[in-house]
Amino acid sequence: MTAIAEITMPGLMTTLQDLGRPGLRHLGVPLSGAADPLSLALANAAAGNAPGTTGLECTLKGPSLRFRSEAAFALGGADMNATLNGEPLDLYTLHHAKNEDKLVIGAARTGARAYIAFSGGLKGEDFLGSRSTYISAALGGHEGRALISGDEIFSAELPAAAPRDIPKALRPNLAHDFFLRALPGPEALQLSEGSLASFFSAAWTVGRRADRMGVQLEGKTLPLEEAAPMASSPVFPGTVQCPPDGAPFLLLCDAQTVGGYPRIAQLIAADLHLTGQLRPGDRVWFQKLSADLAREVGRQKASFYGDLFPHGFFC
Amino acid sequence: MSAFSFSLTPFGENGWLATLSGGDMVARALSANAAADVLRNSAGVTDAVAGVESLILRFRPEEMTTGDAKKKLEDALRQSTSKTPASAPAIDIPVCYGGEYGPDFERLCEKLSLAPDQFIALHSSQVYRVLTVGFAPGFAYLGPLPPALQTGRLSTPRAHVPSGSVGVAGAMTGVYALASPGGWPLIGRTPKKLFDPHGAAPFIFTSGAAVRFVPIDEDAFKALEANPV
Repeated sequence: MTAIAEITMPGLMTTLQDLGRPGLRHLGVPLSGAADPLSLALANAAAGNAPGTTGLECTLKGPSLRFRSEAAFALGGADMNATLNGEPLDLYTLHHAKNEDKLVIGAARTGARAYIAFSGGLKGEDFLGSRSTYISAALGGHEGRALISGDEIFSAELPAAAPRDIPKALRPNLAHDFFLRALPGPEALQLSEGSLASFFSAAWTVGRRADRMGVQLEGKTLPLEEAAPMASSPVFPGTVQCPPDGAPFLLLCDAQTVGGYPRIAQLIAADLHLTGQLRPGDRVWFQKLSADLAREVGRQKASFYGDLFPHGFFC
Repeated sequence: MSAFSFSLTPFGENGWLATLSGGDMVARALSANAAADVLRNSAGVTDAVAGVESLILRFRPEEMTTGDAKKKLEDALRQSTSKTPASAPAIDIPVCYGGEYGPDFERLCEKLSLAPDQFIALHSSQVYRVLTVGFAPGFAYLGPLPPALQTGRLSTPRAHVPSGSVGVAGAMTGVYALASPGGWPLIGRTPKKLFDPHGAAPFIFTSGAAVRFVPIDEDAFKALEANPV
Protein backbone atom coordinates (compact mmCIF):
# COMPACT_ATOMS: atom_id res chain seq x y z
CA MET A 1 0.00 0.00 0.00
CA THR A 2 1.31 3.43 -0.92
CA ALA A 3 1.53 6.10 1.73
CA ILE A 4 -0.22 9.45 1.26
CA ALA A 5 2.90 11.25 2.39
CA GLU A 6 6.13 11.06 4.31
CA ILE A 7 6.98 13.43 7.16
CA THR A 8 10.16 15.29 6.27
CA MET A 9 10.06 17.71 9.27
CA PRO A 10 7.91 16.83 12.26
CA GLY A 11 6.99 20.29 13.59
CA LEU A 12 6.71 20.87 17.34
CA MET A 13 4.08 18.22 18.01
CA THR A 14 2.09 16.67 15.19
CA THR A 15 -0.36 13.92 16.13
CA LEU A 16 -3.25 11.95 14.64
CA GLN A 17 -6.53 13.06 16.21
CA ASP A 18 -10.25 12.50 15.78
CA LEU A 19 -13.00 13.49 18.22
CA GLY A 20 -11.63 11.32 21.03
CA ARG A 21 -13.09 8.84 23.50
CA PRO A 22 -16.14 10.34 25.16
CA GLY A 23 -17.85 8.49 28.02
CA LEU A 24 -14.86 6.45 29.25
CA ARG A 25 -13.73 8.61 32.16
CA HIS A 26 -14.95 5.97 34.64
CA LEU A 27 -12.08 3.79 33.33
CA GLY A 28 -9.61 6.61 33.88
CA VAL A 29 -9.50 7.19 30.12
CA PRO A 30 -9.38 10.89 29.14
CA LEU A 31 -11.30 12.37 26.23
CA SER A 32 -8.29 13.16 23.99
CA GLY A 33 -9.16 13.96 20.36
CA ALA A 34 -8.58 17.30 18.64
CA ALA A 35 -7.93 20.04 21.21
CA ASP A 36 -10.03 22.29 18.94
CA PRO A 37 -12.65 19.81 17.65
CA LEU A 38 -14.62 22.50 15.79
CA SER A 39 -11.65 23.36 13.57
CA LEU A 40 -10.98 19.67 12.83
CA ALA A 41 -14.68 19.15 12.01
CA LEU A 42 -14.71 22.19 9.70
CA ALA A 43 -11.53 21.06 7.91
CA ASN A 44 -13.10 17.62 7.52
CA ALA A 45 -16.27 19.15 6.05
CA ALA A 46 -14.14 21.09 3.55
CA ALA A 47 -12.40 17.79 2.64
CA GLY A 48 -15.75 15.99 2.20
CA ASN A 49 -15.21 13.89 5.32
CA ALA A 50 -17.50 13.14 8.28
CA PRO A 51 -16.75 15.60 11.14
CA GLY A 52 -14.83 13.12 13.33
CA THR A 53 -12.57 11.69 10.61
CA THR A 54 -8.95 11.26 11.72
CA GLY A 55 -6.61 14.05 10.63
CA LEU A 56 -3.37 15.68 11.73
CA GLU A 57 -3.18 18.15 14.60
CA CYS A 58 -0.22 20.55 14.29
CA THR A 59 0.96 22.49 17.34
CA LEU A 60 2.37 26.06 17.11
CA LYS A 61 4.75 25.06 14.32
CA GLY A 62 3.61 22.51 11.79
CA PRO A 63 5.34 19.72 9.88
CA SER A 64 6.64 19.44 6.31
CA LEU A 65 5.37 16.56 4.17
CA ARG A 66 6.39 15.06 0.85
CA PHE A 67 3.44 13.47 -0.94
CA ARG A 68 3.84 9.91 -2.14
CA SER A 69 0.60 9.73 -4.06
CA GLU A 70 -2.22 11.96 -5.25
CA ALA A 71 -4.26 13.30 -2.38
CA ALA A 72 -6.83 15.97 -1.56
CA PHE A 73 -6.79 17.83 1.73
CA ALA A 74 -8.10 20.89 3.57
CA LEU A 75 -6.63 22.97 6.39
CA GLY A 76 -8.36 24.39 9.44
CA GLY A 77 -7.75 26.02 12.82
CA ALA A 78 -4.74 28.29 13.33
CA ASP A 79 -3.31 29.87 10.17
CA MET A 80 0.22 28.47 9.87
CA ASN A 81 1.05 30.01 6.46
CA ALA A 82 0.96 26.66 4.73
CA THR A 83 2.39 26.33 1.23
CA LEU A 84 2.19 23.61 -1.43
CA ASN A 85 5.31 23.70 -3.60
CA GLY A 86 5.81 27.26 -2.36
CA GLU A 87 2.29 28.47 -3.22
CA PRO A 88 0.27 29.80 -0.25
CA LEU A 89 -2.84 27.81 0.67
CA ASP A 90 -6.19 29.07 1.94
CA LEU A 91 -7.85 27.50 4.97
CA TYR A 92 -11.12 25.54 4.67
CA THR A 93 -10.67 24.95 0.94
CA LEU A 94 -9.97 21.66 -0.83
CA HIS A 95 -6.45 21.41 -2.29
CA HIS A 96 -5.05 18.70 -4.57
CA ALA A 97 -1.52 17.35 -4.33
CA LYS A 98 0.45 15.08 -6.66
CA ASN A 99 3.21 12.59 -5.94
CA GLU A 100 6.41 14.43 -4.83
CA ASP A 101 4.57 17.68 -4.01
CA LYS A 102 5.85 19.42 -0.89
CA LEU A 103 3.47 20.69 1.80
CA VAL A 104 5.10 23.01 4.33
CA ILE A 105 3.10 24.06 7.38
CA GLY A 106 4.76 27.06 8.99
CA ALA A 107 4.29 28.69 12.37
CA ALA A 108 1.07 30.12 13.81
CA ARG A 109 0.94 33.82 14.62
CA THR A 110 -2.43 33.52 16.33
CA GLY A 111 -3.93 30.36 17.75
CA ALA A 112 -2.05 27.23 18.72
CA ARG A 113 -3.31 24.35 16.58
CA ALA A 114 -3.90 23.73 12.89
CA TYR A 115 -5.60 20.70 11.38
CA ILE A 116 -4.96 18.87 8.12
CA ALA A 117 -7.94 16.82 6.95
CA PHE A 118 -7.16 14.40 4.11
CA SER A 119 -10.13 13.34 1.95
CA GLY A 120 -10.79 9.74 2.98
CA GLY A 121 -9.20 10.19 6.40
CA LEU A 122 -6.01 8.81 7.91
CA LYS A 123 -5.29 5.29 9.09
CA GLY A 124 -4.39 5.06 12.76
CA GLU A 125 -4.25 2.64 15.64
CA ASP A 126 -7.60 2.25 17.32
CA PHE A 127 -7.85 2.32 21.11
CA LEU A 128 -11.33 2.06 22.63
CA GLY A 129 -13.06 3.27 19.49
CA SER A 130 -10.87 6.25 18.65
CA ARG A 131 -7.67 6.78 16.68
CA SER A 132 -6.67 9.77 18.78
CA THR A 133 -3.10 9.84 19.97
CA TYR A 134 -2.89 9.82 23.78
CA ILE A 135 0.80 10.43 24.37
CA SER A 136 0.87 9.99 28.18
CA ALA A 137 -0.09 6.32 27.83
CA ALA A 138 1.41 5.85 24.34
CA LEU A 139 -1.96 4.74 22.94
CA GLY A 140 -3.77 5.31 19.66
CA GLY A 141 -2.83 7.24 16.53
CA HIS A 142 0.67 6.53 15.23
CA GLU A 143 2.35 4.27 17.82
CA GLY A 144 0.84 6.47 20.54
CA ARG A 145 3.31 9.27 19.84
CA ALA A 146 3.91 12.46 17.89
CA LEU A 147 5.10 12.01 14.31
CA ILE A 148 8.84 12.16 13.57
CA SER A 149 10.80 12.59 10.34
CA GLY A 150 10.53 9.53 8.15
CA ASP A 151 7.08 8.48 9.41
CA GLU A 152 4.54 7.76 6.73
CA ILE A 153 0.83 8.46 6.86
CA PHE A 154 -1.71 6.26 5.09
CA SER A 155 -5.23 6.84 3.86
CA ALA A 156 -8.11 5.17 5.70
CA GLU A 157 -9.81 5.14 2.27
CA LEU A 158 -13.15 6.16 3.72
CA PRO A 159 -15.71 7.24 1.15
CA ALA A 160 -15.50 11.02 0.88
CA ALA A 161 -18.55 13.10 0.00
CA ALA A 162 -18.50 16.31 -1.99
CA PRO A 163 -16.36 18.94 -0.26
CA ARG A 164 -18.44 21.47 1.66
CA ASP A 165 -18.10 25.17 1.21
CA ILE A 166 -17.38 26.69 4.64
CA PRO A 167 -18.90 30.19 4.72
CA LYS A 168 -16.56 32.88 6.05
CA ALA A 169 -18.89 33.58 8.98
CA LEU A 170 -18.46 30.01 10.23
CA ARG A 171 -14.66 30.06 10.14
CA PRO A 172 -13.15 30.63 13.58
CA ASN A 173 -11.40 33.97 13.73
CA LEU A 174 -8.42 33.63 16.06
CA ALA A 175 -6.77 36.50 17.91
CA HIS A 176 -4.64 36.85 21.04
CA ASP A 177 -7.63 37.66 23.27
CA PHE A 178 -10.09 34.99 24.38
CA PHE A 179 -13.44 35.46 26.09
CA LEU A 180 -14.48 32.19 27.67
CA ARG A 181 -17.82 31.74 29.38
CA ALA A 182 -17.99 29.73 32.58
CA LEU A 183 -20.10 28.78 35.58
CA PRO A 184 -18.73 28.86 39.13
CA GLY A 185 -17.45 25.39 40.13
CA PRO A 186 -18.52 23.29 43.13
CA GLU A 187 -15.63 24.52 45.31
CA ALA A 188 -15.79 28.17 44.19
CA LEU A 189 -16.78 29.13 47.72
CA GLN A 190 -13.43 27.88 49.02
CA LEU A 191 -11.92 30.97 47.39
CA SER A 192 -11.38 33.79 49.84
CA GLU A 193 -13.78 36.73 49.88
CA GLY A 194 -13.63 38.59 46.57
CA SER A 195 -11.43 35.99 44.84
CA LEU A 196 -14.25 34.53 42.76
CA ALA A 197 -15.19 38.02 41.58
CA SER A 198 -11.57 38.70 40.63
CA PHE A 199 -11.38 35.38 38.77
CA PHE A 200 -14.28 36.64 36.63
CA SER A 201 -12.91 40.17 36.19
CA ALA A 202 -9.15 39.68 35.82
CA ALA A 203 -7.29 39.59 32.52
CA TRP A 204 -5.42 36.27 32.70
CA THR A 205 -2.34 35.39 30.69
CA VAL A 206 -1.72 31.90 29.35
CA GLY A 207 1.49 30.67 30.99
CA ARG A 208 4.33 28.67 29.46
CA ARG A 209 2.74 25.45 30.66
CA ALA A 210 0.11 25.10 27.94
CA ASP A 211 -0.38 21.64 26.49
CA ARG A 212 -3.15 19.14 25.77
CA MET A 213 -3.47 18.37 29.51
CA GLY A 214 -4.12 21.94 30.52
CA VAL A 215 -3.20 25.60 30.55
CA GLN A 216 -1.60 27.55 33.39
CA LEU A 217 -3.29 30.92 34.01
CA GLU A 218 -1.09 33.73 35.26
CA GLY A 219 -1.66 37.27 36.44
CA LYS A 220 -3.15 36.95 39.90
CA THR A 221 -3.10 34.54 42.79
CA LEU A 222 -6.46 33.51 44.21
CA PRO A 223 -6.18 32.85 47.94
CA LEU A 224 -8.17 29.86 49.21
CA GLU A 225 -9.80 29.57 52.60
CA GLU A 226 -8.32 26.89 54.84
CA ALA A 227 -10.20 23.71 54.04
CA ALA A 228 -9.84 20.00 54.71
CA PRO A 229 -7.98 18.25 51.88
CA MET A 230 -10.38 17.08 49.19
CA ALA A 231 -10.82 13.44 48.26
CA SER A 232 -10.10 12.91 44.57
CA SER A 233 -13.22 13.86 42.64
CA PRO A 234 -14.07 13.88 38.92
CA VAL A 235 -12.76 16.66 36.67
CA PHE A 236 -13.46 17.30 32.97
CA PRO A 237 -12.06 19.31 30.09
CA GLY A 238 -13.04 22.90 30.89
CA THR A 239 -12.65 22.50 34.65
CA VAL A 240 -10.61 25.31 36.26
CA GLN A 241 -8.75 23.96 39.29
CA CYS A 242 -7.08 26.13 41.90
CA PRO A 243 -4.24 24.47 43.85
CA PRO A 244 -3.14 25.86 47.25
CA ASP A 245 -0.57 28.14 45.55
CA GLY A 246 -3.53 30.11 44.14
CA ALA A 247 -2.53 29.79 40.46
CA PRO A 248 -5.54 28.51 38.49
CA PHE A 249 -5.15 25.77 35.90
CA LEU A 250 -7.62 25.17 33.05
CA LEU A 251 -7.97 21.51 32.02
CA LEU A 252 -8.01 20.50 28.34
CA CYS A 253 -8.84 17.33 26.40
CA ASP A 254 -6.05 15.06 27.73
CA ALA A 255 -6.70 15.97 31.39
CA GLN A 256 -6.78 13.24 34.01
CA THR A 257 -10.23 12.03 35.09
CA VAL A 258 -10.10 12.88 38.80
CA GLY A 259 -8.33 15.60 40.73
CA GLY A 260 -7.86 16.73 44.30
CA TYR A 261 -7.80 20.53 43.90
CA PRO A 262 -10.80 22.84 44.34
CA ARG A 263 -12.81 23.19 41.11
CA ILE A 264 -13.51 26.92 40.99
CA ALA A 265 -15.14 27.15 37.55
CA GLN A 266 -16.43 25.06 34.65
CA LEU A 267 -16.37 26.37 31.09
CA ILE A 268 -19.64 26.18 29.20
CA ALA A 269 -19.68 23.25 26.77
CA ALA A 270 -20.10 25.52 23.72
CA ASP A 271 -16.81 27.36 24.38
CA LEU A 272 -14.61 24.30 25.03
CA HIS A 273 -13.29 24.17 21.47
CA LEU A 274 -11.64 27.58 21.95
CA THR A 275 -9.31 26.24 24.67
CA GLY A 276 -7.38 24.26 22.04
CA GLN A 277 -6.22 27.54 20.50
CA LEU A 278 -4.76 29.12 23.66
CA ARG A 279 -1.06 29.78 23.33
CA PRO A 280 1.45 31.13 25.86
CA GLY A 281 1.06 34.89 26.18
CA ASP A 282 -2.58 35.02 25.04
CA ARG A 283 -5.00 36.95 27.24
CA VAL A 284 -8.11 35.30 28.66
CA TRP A 285 -11.18 36.72 30.32
CA PHE A 286 -13.79 34.52 31.98
CA GLN A 287 -17.37 35.68 31.80
CA LYS A 288 -19.79 34.32 34.40
CA LEU A 289 -22.96 32.84 32.96
CA SER A 290 -26.08 31.29 34.46
CA ALA A 291 -26.84 27.65 33.64
CA ASP A 292 -29.94 28.69 31.66
CA LEU A 293 -27.97 31.16 29.56
CA ALA A 294 -25.17 28.59 29.06
CA ARG A 295 -27.68 26.10 27.66
CA GLU A 296 -29.16 28.81 25.43
CA VAL A 297 -25.68 29.65 24.08
CA GLY A 298 -25.20 25.92 23.40
CA ARG A 299 -28.44 25.79 21.41
CA GLN A 300 -27.53 28.91 19.44
CA LYS A 301 -24.05 27.67 18.55
CA ALA A 302 -25.45 24.27 17.53
CA SER A 303 -28.00 25.92 15.26
CA PHE A 304 -25.35 28.29 13.84
CA TYR A 305 -23.42 25.22 12.64
CA GLY A 306 -26.59 23.18 12.03
CA ASP A 307 -26.28 23.10 8.22
CA LEU A 308 -22.74 21.66 8.39
CA PHE A 309 -23.25 19.38 11.39
CA PRO A 310 -26.89 18.28 11.45
CA HIS A 311 -26.14 15.59 14.04
CA GLY A 312 -24.84 18.00 16.63
CA PHE A 313 -22.17 20.52 17.34
CA PHE A 314 -18.79 18.87 17.80
CA CYS A 315 -17.11 20.23 20.87
CA MET B 1 -31.39 2.16 55.03
CA SER B 2 -28.72 4.63 53.97
CA ALA B 3 -25.34 4.23 55.64
CA PHE B 4 -24.38 7.57 54.10
CA SER B 5 -26.01 10.83 53.14
CA PHE B 6 -25.35 12.98 50.11
CA SER B 7 -25.69 16.54 48.91
CA LEU B 8 -26.10 17.74 45.32
CA THR B 9 -24.49 20.76 43.61
CA PRO B 10 -24.78 21.80 39.95
CA PHE B 11 -21.68 21.03 37.87
CA GLY B 12 -21.48 23.11 34.70
CA GLU B 13 -24.74 23.76 32.85
CA ASN B 14 -25.43 20.08 32.13
CA GLY B 15 -24.34 18.22 35.22
CA TRP B 16 -24.76 17.45 38.90
CA LEU B 17 -22.16 16.64 41.52
CA ALA B 18 -23.15 14.39 44.43
CA THR B 19 -20.91 14.44 47.51
CA LEU B 20 -21.30 11.53 49.93
CA SER B 21 -20.70 11.76 53.66
CA GLY B 22 -21.19 9.54 56.70
CA GLY B 23 -20.78 5.75 56.79
CA ASP B 24 -17.38 4.24 56.06
CA MET B 25 -15.08 5.00 53.14
CA VAL B 26 -15.57 1.67 51.41
CA ALA B 27 -19.38 1.90 51.54
CA ARG B 28 -19.30 5.48 50.20
CA ALA B 29 -16.96 4.61 47.34
CA LEU B 30 -18.79 1.43 46.33
CA SER B 31 -22.19 3.15 46.50
CA ALA B 32 -21.03 6.09 44.39
CA ASN B 33 -19.52 3.73 41.79
CA ALA B 34 -22.52 1.38 41.76
CA ALA B 35 -24.80 4.37 41.18
CA ALA B 36 -22.52 5.61 38.38
CA ASP B 37 -22.61 2.17 36.71
CA VAL B 38 -26.42 2.26 36.68
CA LEU B 39 -26.64 5.88 35.48
CA ARG B 40 -24.17 5.34 32.64
CA ASN B 41 -26.69 3.10 30.86
CA SER B 42 -29.50 5.66 30.92
CA ALA B 43 -30.48 7.43 27.71
CA GLY B 44 -29.29 11.03 27.65
CA VAL B 45 -26.40 10.48 30.07
CA THR B 46 -23.00 11.42 28.63
CA ASP B 47 -20.85 10.74 31.70
CA ALA B 48 -21.37 9.14 35.09
CA VAL B 49 -18.00 9.24 36.84
CA ALA B 50 -17.39 8.47 40.50
CA GLY B 51 -14.50 9.46 42.72
CA VAL B 52 -13.95 7.98 46.17
CA GLU B 53 -16.82 9.88 47.75
CA SER B 54 -18.40 11.77 44.90
CA LEU B 55 -20.17 11.26 41.62
CA ILE B 56 -20.70 13.56 38.65
CA LEU B 57 -23.56 12.97 36.26
CA ARG B 58 -23.53 14.87 32.95
CA PHE B 59 -26.37 14.79 30.45
CA ARG B 60 -27.49 15.99 27.02
CA PRO B 61 -29.80 18.94 27.62
CA GLU B 62 -31.85 18.11 24.52
CA GLU B 63 -32.69 14.69 26.01
CA MET B 64 -33.04 15.42 29.70
CA THR B 65 -34.02 18.41 31.83
CA THR B 66 -31.80 19.42 34.69
CA GLY B 67 -34.62 18.46 37.09
CA ASP B 68 -34.92 14.96 35.58
CA ALA B 69 -31.17 14.49 35.82
CA LYS B 70 -31.18 15.49 39.46
CA LYS B 71 -33.97 13.03 40.25
CA LYS B 72 -32.19 10.21 38.37
CA LEU B 73 -29.02 10.86 40.38
CA GLU B 74 -30.90 10.92 43.71
CA ASP B 75 -32.75 7.71 42.87
CA ALA B 76 -29.58 5.91 41.79
CA LEU B 77 -27.77 6.89 44.99
CA ARG B 78 -30.70 5.89 47.22
CA GLN B 79 -30.94 2.50 45.54
CA SER B 80 -27.22 1.77 45.46
CA THR B 81 -26.70 1.54 49.22
CA SER B 82 -27.20 -2.20 49.53
CA LYS B 83 -25.04 -3.09 46.56
CA THR B 84 -21.79 -3.75 48.38
CA PRO B 85 -20.81 -7.47 48.11
CA ALA B 86 -18.36 -8.25 45.31
CA SER B 87 -20.07 -10.15 42.53
CA ALA B 88 -17.02 -12.23 41.56
CA PRO B 89 -14.18 -14.02 43.39
CA ALA B 90 -11.14 -11.95 44.36
CA ILE B 91 -8.58 -11.24 41.61
CA ASP B 92 -5.13 -12.43 42.71
CA ILE B 93 -2.36 -9.94 41.99
CA PRO B 94 1.15 -11.37 42.47
CA VAL B 95 3.51 -8.69 43.84
CA CYS B 96 7.24 -8.58 44.29
CA TYR B 97 7.78 -6.18 47.22
CA GLY B 98 10.78 -3.88 47.70
CA GLY B 99 14.04 -3.58 45.80
CA GLU B 100 13.86 -2.05 42.35
CA TYR B 101 10.17 -3.01 42.15
CA GLY B 102 9.18 -0.99 45.22
CA PRO B 103 11.71 1.84 45.54
CA ASP B 104 9.99 3.35 48.60
CA PHE B 105 9.40 0.04 50.43
CA GLU B 106 12.47 -0.01 52.71
CA ARG B 107 12.02 3.65 53.64
CA LEU B 108 8.36 3.12 54.49
CA CYS B 109 9.12 0.04 56.61
CA GLU B 110 11.55 2.16 58.61
CA LYS B 111 9.15 5.09 58.90
CA LEU B 112 6.28 2.84 60.02
CA SER B 113 8.56 0.76 62.31
CA LEU B 114 7.71 -2.49 60.56
CA ALA B 115 9.96 -5.36 59.52
CA PRO B 116 9.70 -5.97 55.76
CA ASP B 117 7.99 -9.32 56.41
CA GLN B 118 5.44 -7.66 58.70
CA PHE B 119 4.67 -5.01 56.07
CA ILE B 120 4.22 -7.65 53.38
CA ALA B 121 2.07 -9.85 55.64
CA LEU B 122 -0.20 -6.91 56.53
CA HIS B 123 -0.51 -5.69 52.95
CA SER B 124 -1.26 -9.14 51.52
CA SER B 125 -3.42 -10.55 54.31
CA GLN B 126 -6.74 -9.00 53.34
CA VAL B 127 -9.15 -8.74 50.47
CA TYR B 128 -9.41 -5.18 49.14
CA ARG B 129 -12.16 -3.65 47.05
CA VAL B 130 -11.59 -1.47 44.01
CA LEU B 131 -13.02 1.78 45.40
CA THR B 132 -12.84 3.56 42.08
CA VAL B 133 -10.86 3.67 38.84
CA GLY B 134 -9.51 6.96 37.60
CA PHE B 135 -6.71 9.53 37.37
CA ALA B 136 -4.92 7.53 34.64
CA PRO B 137 -6.30 4.74 32.42
CA GLY B 138 -7.06 1.71 34.59
CA PHE B 139 -5.51 3.13 37.78
CA ALA B 140 -7.26 1.35 40.66
CA TYR B 141 -7.82 2.89 44.09
CA LEU B 142 -8.13 -0.03 46.57
CA GLY B 143 -9.13 0.00 50.20
CA PRO B 144 -9.22 -0.08 53.06
CA LEU B 145 -5.49 -0.15 53.79
CA PRO B 146 -4.63 -1.37 57.35
CA PRO B 147 -3.94 1.69 59.56
CA ALA B 148 -0.41 0.42 60.34
CA LEU B 149 0.50 0.89 56.66
CA GLN B 150 -0.94 4.37 56.13
CA THR B 151 1.36 7.15 55.00
CA GLY B 152 1.32 10.35 52.93
CA ARG B 153 2.11 10.97 49.28
CA LEU B 154 5.55 11.79 47.94
CA SER B 155 6.36 15.49 48.25
CA THR B 156 7.56 15.43 44.62
CA PRO B 157 5.69 13.10 42.26
CA ARG B 158 7.70 10.80 39.99
CA ALA B 159 7.64 11.69 36.30
CA HIS B 160 7.58 7.99 35.37
CA VAL B 161 6.02 5.13 37.33
CA PRO B 162 6.31 1.72 35.58
CA SER B 163 3.11 -0.16 34.76
CA GLY B 164 2.15 -2.73 37.41
CA SER B 165 3.55 -0.60 40.24
CA VAL B 166 1.74 -0.90 43.58
CA GLY B 167 1.63 2.16 45.82
CA VAL B 168 0.10 3.31 49.09
CA ALA B 169 -1.36 6.69 50.09
CA GLY B 170 -3.58 7.50 53.05
CA ALA B 171 -6.18 4.79 53.64
CA MET B 172 -5.72 3.36 50.12
CA THR B 173 -3.39 1.22 48.10
CA GLY B 174 -3.30 1.61 44.33
CA VAL B 175 -2.11 -0.15 41.21
CA TYR B 176 -0.81 1.63 38.10
CA ALA B 177 -2.27 -0.34 35.17
CA LEU B 178 -0.17 1.70 32.73
CA ALA B 179 3.04 3.63 33.07
CA SER B 180 2.29 7.22 34.10
CA PRO B 181 3.53 10.02 36.32
CA GLY B 182 2.55 9.39 39.95
CA GLY B 183 2.83 10.65 43.50
CA TRP B 184 2.17 7.50 45.54
CA PRO B 185 5.07 5.88 47.44
CA LEU B 186 5.78 2.58 45.62
CA ILE B 187 6.06 -0.67 47.60
CA GLY B 188 6.20 -3.31 44.84
CA ARG B 189 5.21 -4.30 41.34
CA THR B 190 3.12 -6.99 39.70
CA PRO B 191 4.18 -8.83 36.53
CA LYS B 192 0.52 -9.53 35.78
CA LYS B 193 -0.83 -7.95 32.60
CA LEU B 194 -3.39 -5.41 33.79
CA PHE B 195 -4.28 -3.98 30.41
CA ASP B 196 -5.29 -5.53 27.10
CA PRO B 197 -5.97 -2.78 24.56
CA HIS B 198 -7.95 -5.15 22.33
CA GLY B 199 -9.91 -6.99 25.03
CA ALA B 200 -13.64 -6.54 25.55
CA ALA B 201 -12.80 -5.03 28.96
CA PRO B 202 -9.38 -3.42 28.43
CA PHE B 203 -8.55 -3.07 32.13
CA ILE B 204 -8.50 -5.86 34.71
CA PHE B 205 -9.78 -3.60 37.50
CA THR B 206 -13.34 -2.32 37.62
CA SER B 207 -14.93 -0.53 40.53
CA GLY B 208 -16.31 -2.90 43.19
CA ALA B 209 -14.05 -5.84 42.25
CA ALA B 210 -12.33 -7.76 45.06
CA VAL B 211 -8.52 -7.95 44.93
CA ARG B 212 -5.91 -9.89 46.91
CA PHE B 213 -2.13 -9.35 46.73
CA VAL B 214 0.03 -12.49 46.67
CA PRO B 215 3.70 -11.96 47.61
CA ILE B 216 6.23 -13.42 45.14
CA ASP B 217 10.02 -13.26 44.91
CA GLU B 218 12.12 -11.80 42.12
CA ASP B 219 12.57 -15.15 40.33
CA ALA B 220 8.80 -15.68 40.24
CA PHE B 221 8.36 -12.09 39.01
CA LYS B 222 10.75 -12.68 36.12
CA ALA B 223 9.18 -16.04 35.27
CA LEU B 224 5.67 -14.55 35.23
CA GLU B 225 6.85 -11.54 33.27
CA ALA B 226 8.36 -13.83 30.62
CA ASN B 227 5.35 -16.16 30.50
CA PRO B 228 2.20 -14.25 31.40
CA VAL B 229 -0.72 -16.51 32.25
